[in-house]
Amino acid sequence: MAVNLLYHQNDFRLEDELRQIEIAKKDSRQFAPLYKKYHEAIFRYIYKRVDDEESAYDITSCVFVKALAGLHKYEFRGVPFSSWLFRIAKSELYQSFRDKKAQRTVSLDSVTIVQFIDEINEDFSEEQRGTLLNSLKLLKEHQLQLIEMRFFEKRSFKEIGEIVGLTENNAKVKTFRALIKLKEIFIKTKP
Amino acid sequence: MIKILVDRSKPTAEEIKSRQNFDFILKKASINGTKKMLPWYYGAVGLASFIVAILTILS
Repeated sequence: MAVNLLYHQNDFRLEDELRQIEIAKKDSRQFAPLYKKYHEAIFRYIYKRVDDEESAYDITSCVFVKALAGLHKYEFRGVPFSSWLFRIAKSELYQSFRDKKAQRTVSLDSVTIVQFIDEINEDFSEEQRGTLLNSLKLLKEHQLQLIEMRFFEKRSFKEIGEIVGLTENNAKVKTFRALIKLKEIFIKTKP
Repeated sequence: MIKILVDRSKPTAEEIKSRQNFDFILKKASINGTKKMLPWYYGAVGLASFIVAILTILS
């Protein structure tokens, strides 16, 4: 599994980041390095979930406006700054879906589809691929979210838990339940 | 309805970077922050609540 370097930082970098956050709390202009550091990761997270690129840029801006306006509330209590930003991104995304400013989208590449079909113990074929895509549409939103983060974005359970507000263990359990549900739907809808 | 996109084009890191606009973020965040802290905001909300309370008691 690829390591997400923005999430898995060493202690020195984490301390440096916390220092930067404290400076930015006193002077908003000092938020710039954090904005530059996380802008691309947050944009890509949003882009994968909306069908329009411009909407993704707009939502990304909203995330950083919210983050900066609420920075005084951020305290490091086990949740890293990156996960705090992803939480805001998740909430802004759902607000956009509710306001009908963006459409819920799942972005996948062919390699991920092949890997995922293997993960659910099925052999790859064009038919299976179609079945998988239809099955994903039938999952509940919270299940889809977990499948996306774990299997399509290769995030650790710890990070998933921090983003959705679960413990690491709970994130693991719920992700496997979501996978079982997906397998059930897949088998039912298989031609 | 969920839309599924396969092998969608991905903007490059340079493209994304070119869309960064920290001044806009700074401006918007300060407007949002100021709006919440303006005394007239709390004054207006307080006055409205007071009027509603009085009208409720009188009716």
